[in-house]
Amino acid sequence: MQTIRTITAIAVAKLLICLSRILGNQGTAFPGRIARKIDPHILQKLAGNVKEEMYIITGTNGKTTTTNMIARILEEKGYSFVHNRAGANMITGITTAFIKESDIFGKRSFEYALLETDEANVPLLLKELTPRVVLITNFFRDQLDRYGELDSTIGLIKDAVRDTDIELVLNADDPLVVHFHNDTGLHCWYFGFEPTDYDVWEDDESREGRFCSFCAAELQYERFHYAQLGKFYCSNCGSHNPRRNFTGHNLRMTPEIRFMVNDLEISSPYLGFYNAYNILAAVSVAKLVGIQDDVVQKAIASYQPRAGRMEQFMIGDKKAIQVLVKNPTGLNQTLATLNTDVSSKALFFALNDNHGDGRDVSWIWDAQVEAISCTDSGVKSITCSGLRSGDAALRFKYAGFDEEIIEVESDLEAGIKACLNNEAEVYYFLCTYTTLFPSGKILSRLARKSQGRKQPGHVRRKLTVRGE
Amino acid sequence: MSKIAQFRIAHLYPRLMNLYGDRGNLICIQKRLQWYGHDCIIEPINLHESLDYSAYDMLFMGGGSAQEQRLASKDWLRQADDLWAELEKGLPALCICGAFQFLGSYYEAADSQKLKGLGFFDLYTIYEPDRLIGNIVIASQLTEETTTVVGFENHSGRTYLHDDTLQPFGTVLEGFGNNGQDGQEGLRYKNLIGTYLHGPLLPKNPVVADFFIHAMAERQGITISGTLNDRLEDFAHRQTKQRILND
Repeated sequence: MQTIRTITAIAVAKLLICLSRILGNQGTAFPGRIARKIDPHILQKLAGNVKEEMYIITGTNGKTTTTNMIARILEEKGYSFVHNRAGANMITGITTAFIKESDIFGKRSFEYALLETDEANVPLLLKELTPRVVLITNFFRDQLDRYGELDSTIGLIKDAVRDTDIELVLNADDPLVVHFHNDTGLHCWYFGFEPTDYDVWEDDESREGRFCSFCAAELQYERFHYAQLGKFYCSNCGSHNPRRNFTGHNLRMTPEIRFMVNDLEISSPYLGFYNAYNILAAVSVAKLVGIQDDVVQKAIASYQPRAGRMEQFMIGDKKAIQVLVKNPTGLNQTLATLNTDVSSKALFFALNDNHGDGRDVSWIWDAQVEAISCTDSGVKSITCSGLRSGDAALRFKYAGFDEEIIEVESDLEAGIKACLNNEAEVYYFLCTYTTLFPSGKILSRLARKSQGRKQPGHVRRKLTVRGE
Repeated sequence: MSKIAQFRIAHLYPRLMNLYGDRGNLICIQKRLQWYGHDCIIEPINLHESLDYSAYDMLFMGGGSAQEQRLASKDWLRQADDLWAELEKGLPALCICGAFQFLGSYYEAADSQKLKGLGFFDLYTIYEPDRLIGNIVIASQLTEETTTVVGFENHSGRTYLHDDTLQPFGTVLEGFGNNGQDGQEGLRYKNLIGTYLHGPLLPKNPVVADFFIHAMAERQGITISGTLNDRLEDFAHRQTKQRILND
C-alpha cells in the first residue's frame, strides 16, 4: 500500500509532465525533482515495481544511443520496461521516467528498467536502487569543469559499485576500466573489437588513459580503434586488454555498419566507429538479458538514428544532417564520418557554453579539426553560431580554413538560414547540447515549410561578423 | 621582402601536460608566424630527453592531472640551471596551470606533501579541495597599453606571490586568479608568462600571441613586419568578455 505522500508525489509530477508537454518543453528533470521533494523515497518505491532486472548505462560517449538500441531490442521482444528516453540522465530525470510509466497509485509493474545515467549520478542512483548490471561504454575527456578530472569520476563510480552484487559490462579496449575487476572484485563482462581495417597506429596527443591503471607506467599500443580504445599492454607490470566475452569482428563501415558479434551477424543504418561500439555494447547487454539472436538482429537493423544522432532533414531539395557534438572524441568521430562523404559540404557549428554544454569551450582545441581542412575535404563554407560563435570560428581559422569561407551568425536561426544559403550538396549541422533541440526545431520547421515550395534563391555570401 | 626566419618552439611533456586544449596556443603561434611570412616548428620534448634551451625561440608547457604533473615536475628539475640562464636572457615561455606552479618553490599537495618546484621565483601553491572554475577577465600591462585578457580557469591550487617585487600577469576584473583573494593573476618576468588561463589562451588574445612573437623575433635579432587581420580574433575576444561581464 502506497502512502498518501507517494500518491501525492506521483500526481503532482504527472501533472507537471503534462504541463511541460503542453508547453513543448524538453526538460524532464523538473517533475522528478518536485516529486523527490514531496516523497524522498519515491524512486526507491517505484523501482520495486521492476520484476526482472535493472540496467544502468553510463560512460562518456554513446550512452543515449546504446540505451535506445537496447530499448529497441526489448521492444522487439515485447517486454515492458522503464526507460528515461529524452536523455534526462540525472537522478531527477530518472525519477520522472519511473513516474511517467507508473499508474497514479505507483503500482504498475514492469519487467525491466533501462537507465541511462550521467557518470556523476551513478553513485547517487546506486543508493536508491540495485541494478543487475552497470554498463560503462567508455571514459573520455568530457566537461572536466563540472566533475574535476576524469580520474575522480572513475574513482566515484568504482567506490559506488564496490561491495555489491552488480555485474559490470565493460569496454575491453578502454585502458581506463581494466582495473575495475581487481579493485571491486565484481564479475565483469567485456566487449571489444578484434583488429579492424579502420585501425590506426599513430598516437593522438590528447588521448586519455596513457598510463597503466595498475602501476602508472606508460602504456604501449599495438593499434588504436579510435582515441584511447585499442590493443594495449603495459611493459612494466604486464597488464593488457582483458579477455573479451563479446567480440566484434569483420567490421565494415560502408555503406552501413556491418560486423559479427561472436557468431551473430549484425547490420545497422548508423555510421561511424563510435556507433559500432554502441551497437556492440547493446548486443552484449541483449545477450546477458537472454534475448534470441534473430530478435536482436531485427531490432538493430531497423533502428534509425534519432535527434542529433545523424538525423536527416530535407529542406526543399537540400539534404541537412544534424549531429550532436559535445566533446573532442565525439567531434573527431563526426569529422571522420564527414570525411568519408565525398559530396560538397556546408558546415554549421553551434557552440554554447551553458551548464549542459560544459562552461569551458577549450575542448574544441583538443579535437583534430585539421583533419577536414585540406582542400579535398569538400567543405565549401563554415557557419559558426551560438553563444561562443567566436571561439568556434577561431578553431576553424587556425585549423587552416580560409577566413573567407567562415561566417559568424551568433543567432541560431540566422545562422541556420545563412548556412542553407550557401551552395553545397549536403548541409551538416553540428550542435552542442543546448543548441541541439532549438536547432532541430528550426530545421524541422524549415523542412515543413519548404514542402511544396521552390527552393530559396542563393544569396551571395561574404564574411559577416554579427550578433554580438 | 624580408628574409624568412625559422623559429623553434619546445613543447614540454605534451603527452603528460595536455589538459584542456592547451595545444591551441601552439597552433596559434605557429599559424600567426606563418601569416607573418615566417616558419615555425614545434618539437615535442618528452620525459628523460635533454634539451639545449639556447637553441629554442620559445618554451611552452601546459597543465596535467595530479599524477602526470608529478612525473613532469621531477624531470623538469634536471636542467633547471640551464633553463634559468636562458629565461634571464629573455627566452619567451608560456607556462600554464601546473607548469606555472612549478616555477615557484613548492606545491603543497592534497596529502600535505610538498612537491619541490624549480625555485625560480618566491611563490608557492597550496592545494584546496574546492576548485576555482569559470570564465575570467584580467587587465594586463603586457604592452604599453593596458589590455584585457580573457580565458577560462580551473584549478585547485592557490598560488601566492610571496615577493612584492614579483609582477603578476594581470589583475583580475572578473574571476578568481591566483588564489581568489589578492586579485592577482599569473606571473610575468621578462618574456615569461605563467598563468591559470588554460586551454587556448592565445587565439582570442592576439595581443598576447603577438607579444610572444615579437619577443621571439627579437631573440633572433629580427623584426616582424606587417599586421594581421584579427577581425575574428577581436570578435571572439569581445564576445567572451561580454559573456563574462554580463553573466
